[in-house]
Amino acid sequence: MGLPQSLRSFAMTKHMINIISKTKYAYVFSGVLTVMCIASLFVWGLKLGIDFTGGTLMEVQFENNLPSNSEIEENLKNLNLKSLSLQATGNNTILLRYVPEDDKTNQEVLKILKEKYPQSKDLRTDYANSTISEELKSKSLWSIFWAVAGIMAYIAWAFRKVSRPVPSWKYGMGAIIALVHDILITAGVFSVLGHFYGIEIGIPFVAALLTILGFSVHDTIVVYDRTRENLLRSSSKETFPEVVNRSLNETLVRSINTSMTVIITLLAIYIFGGESIKYFSLALLVGVTFGTYSSIFIASALLVTSYKLQIKKS
Amino acid sequence: MNVRQKLRLKFGAVVILAILAGLISYPQAVSKIPKLYDFFNKPKINLGLDLQGGIHLEYKADLSQVDPAKQKEAMQAMQDAVERKINAFGVAEPVIYTTKSGDEQRLIVELAGIRDINEAKKRIGEMPFLEFKEEEETAVEKIPEDILNKTNETAKNKAQDLLKKALAGEDFAKLAKENSEDPGSKEKGGEYDFVKKGMFVPEYEAVIFDKGLKDGEIYKELVETQFGWHIIKRIEVKPASTREDDSSTRGGGEGDPAKSPDGDSGASNQEFKSAHILIAKKVQPEPKIEVVTTGLTGKNLKSASVGFQNQGLTEPVIDLEFDEEGTKLFAEITKRNIGKRVAILIDGEIITNPTVNSEIPNGKAQITGSYTTTEANELVKRLNEGALPVPIGNPINQQSVEASLGKISLEKSLKAGMIGMVLVIIFMLLFYRFLGLVASFSLLIYSALMISIFKLSGFSPWQITLTLPGIAGFVLSIGMAVDANILIFERTKEEIKKGRDVLSAIEEGFKRAWTSIRDGNMSSIITAFILIEMGTGFVKGFAVTLIIGVIVSMFTAVVITRTILRFVMGRWLENKLWLIGVNKKPVITSEAK
Repeated sequence: MGLPQSLRSFAMTKHMINIISKTKYAYVFSGVLTVMCIASLFVWGLKLGIDFTGGTLMEVQFENNLPSNSEIEENLKNLNLKSLSLQATGNNTILLRYVPEDDKTNQEVLKILKEKYPQSKDLRTDYANSTISEELKSKSLWSIFWAVAGIMAYIAWAFRKVSRPVPSWKYGMGAIIALVHDILITAGVFSVLGHFYGIEIGIPFVAALLTILGFSVHDTIVVYDRTRENLLRSSSKETFPEVVNRSLNETLVRSINTSMTVIITLLAIYIFGGESIKYFSLALLVGVTFGTYSSIFIASALLVTSYKLQIKKS
Repeated sequence: MNVRQKLRLKFGAVVILAILAGLISYPQAVSKIPKLYDFFNKPKINLGLDLQGGIHLEYKADLSQVDPAKQKEAMQAMQDAVERKINAFGVAEPVIYTTKSGDEQRLIVELAGIRDINEAKKRIGEMPFLEFKEEEETAVEKIPEDILNKTNETAKNKAQDLLKKALAGEDFAKLAKENSEDPGSKEKGGEYDFVKKGMFVPEYEAVIFDKGLKDGEIYKELVETQFGWHIIKRIEVKPASTREDDSSTRGGGEGDPAKSPDGDSGASNQEFKSAHILIAKKVQPEPKIEVVTTGLTGKNLKSASVGFQNQGLTEPVIDLEFDEEGTKLFAEITKRNIGKRVAILIDGEIITNPTVNSEIPNGKAQITGSYTTTEANELVKRLNEGALPVPIGNPINQQSVEASLGKISLEKSLKAGMIGMVLVIIFMLLFYRFLGLVASFSLLIYSALMISIFKLSGFSPWQITLTLPGIAGFVLSIGMAVDANILIFERTKEEIKKGRDVLSAIEEGFKRAWTSIRDGNMSSIITAFILIEMGTGFVKGFAVTLIIGVIVSMFTAVVITRTILRFVMGRWLENKLWLIGVNKKPVITSEAK
């Protein structure tokens, strides 16, 4: 058994891997990646779906031969559908998107398609008008706000007892920075996917972000928890960075393993779960992966960095 | 009871729980025993629209006409009406409810497994919005009496002057053209064509017929009517022609001395031609009449039927009958509106606008409109199937899923879940061997418990609907469920390495890992609650399963795993540490480097 064997040896030997000494590389990697993601978000933005813009999304299945996009466009020309876009998906289906969101237009589109392609079948018609989309937008932003606020409050409470040698609010800050890092990278990835592959984000994406928030903090808390425990019992010989590094090593296997089981299930959903939840699971996948990375390489490293700054000052 | 007995009891409880949950979630296991199978096969998972196909429609209720205190009632009535309509359509278990979003009231209609989505929408769209409106006078600012008198004094003087001029022989037509304030006749030199007697106000006709005026003569005095002061010239009087439509020649407009046609028609055997000059009188402005809602709407309708107005006449009328509340309301409305009009509107259009003659206490009203019998029958059917208390409009949000797509989604996501679970089990076995095996059992029990909760929730007021995102949440929770076990097992291994014996290491592992498990899951629960607050279908389905998953998994990972482990573990493991993934005899490691 290759992998487990080698992983096990970390914990077994006295020689721990010195994760904290590699902080520089992690900072550079995360810094560059985060900047790139922010840039992508600024330049390309996120491609918003009908949940946030209003409009219609229709999934139509065709028999045997999938007509070309231009052929369908030609047929629907008379309706003058504003920003009509067509996208072929698996199973002989085409996704139609356009701005108008009234029932009448949809009926006309379906009527034309049915006339031209008698075998076509309307699998799904979703539409939302601007009242709904504005509402969803503000709801989403507020829910992200409350999630962050709730988690911050929780972290502050969870770490109220540790204040030596680093004050407890710094644990909170560390966890929050790691969390923002995970969220930014996930959003950045979807900004790139939106620009190059037309992948839209909707309510599921927001749900995924909030789940990532919870999960990322979960991981970070486990590591901090161990640090807290070790600090309370450590001998005075051990320096703070050493305690942090030891805690990281002690929790390394479990951090990776707990994430692994979640990543395995997410991969299963992504690969086998079908179209509707594919990108939802992809968002979670990206977020959870980076969440694990950041709780190992960033969150604790931030504690040590702030500790070092503190020493320099005094 | 000693510790060992207590443990046995606990283990027994776990086994029973596992078997029950297993049977509820997979009753096919006992398909050979029909009685048992039937019993366990009863609870069913309530599948969401995205998994069984169906339509979700969201309507915005227009409550602008409804008293804020009565909005809730109106929404309830609307919900009932739509429910009645949908039931007439024959859909299995429609879900219809109202929600509030900001200031807006919404009606949500969810129809599962419906074949013809458009038909359903059409049915709801054609629901008539029936309401009764009454006239209400609104106060208009009055002109002070002295100003009014002064103005009229001037007007009268002007009329006197004109009369003098006319009597003095000035051209009547010219005077009329320049001075008359009757827009209907002034351009024609004040002249009216033949009108039947009885069409004009009595003061005017009295001059023509009763004052001994001859054709072509101007009356010597000013004649005051409601319109102002008239200088009247009789042109010709003759017996009435037989042509019916002669009366239509009367001029219109302000100052027209024409009376309403329901006047004395017995005297119309004569007709006359005349001319006049009018100097208008200023009067207090008439109170403005506005049509306002009465509160009597489609929600008070008990039944509608087609009737015929008179024996032998083919014009159909629609008889409405109100419920108890509606009868009371209608009696009050008719009582306070005697002599006034009450309008019956369908879909915002006035269908009939009769004058109330007396109070109607029997809760019956009649719509007379120009309907054909077919139209009347159609409308009656619509009214009976559910008349709305407020207009509903088009859906502002729709999500429809074809049944076949739902089925594919269900199959695919279940497959994904199975694969995910198998992979997690393999992973756990590789890493934690015997402990992993126990954890895998816990995981199976966890899954069975989750499915059982989904199924049994149908018997409680909090039925859980399983949606596609819900399955995603469930599959994700399988990955997270073993988290707690991983935390515990890692801790256990550590403790063994520190030199503890296996049993106490396991106990220690559970004890030490608990804070981490609690803290970690707490953050998931916080975010999941916020997700539920967001309230949209997708998010809710996901968050609900995640929350239940997190709570149940804490129970299985801690209580169930612990009980099984305590029961099966013993001294025999001490020499087989490879079984739990620790391959060396423990060494005492120094704490620090």
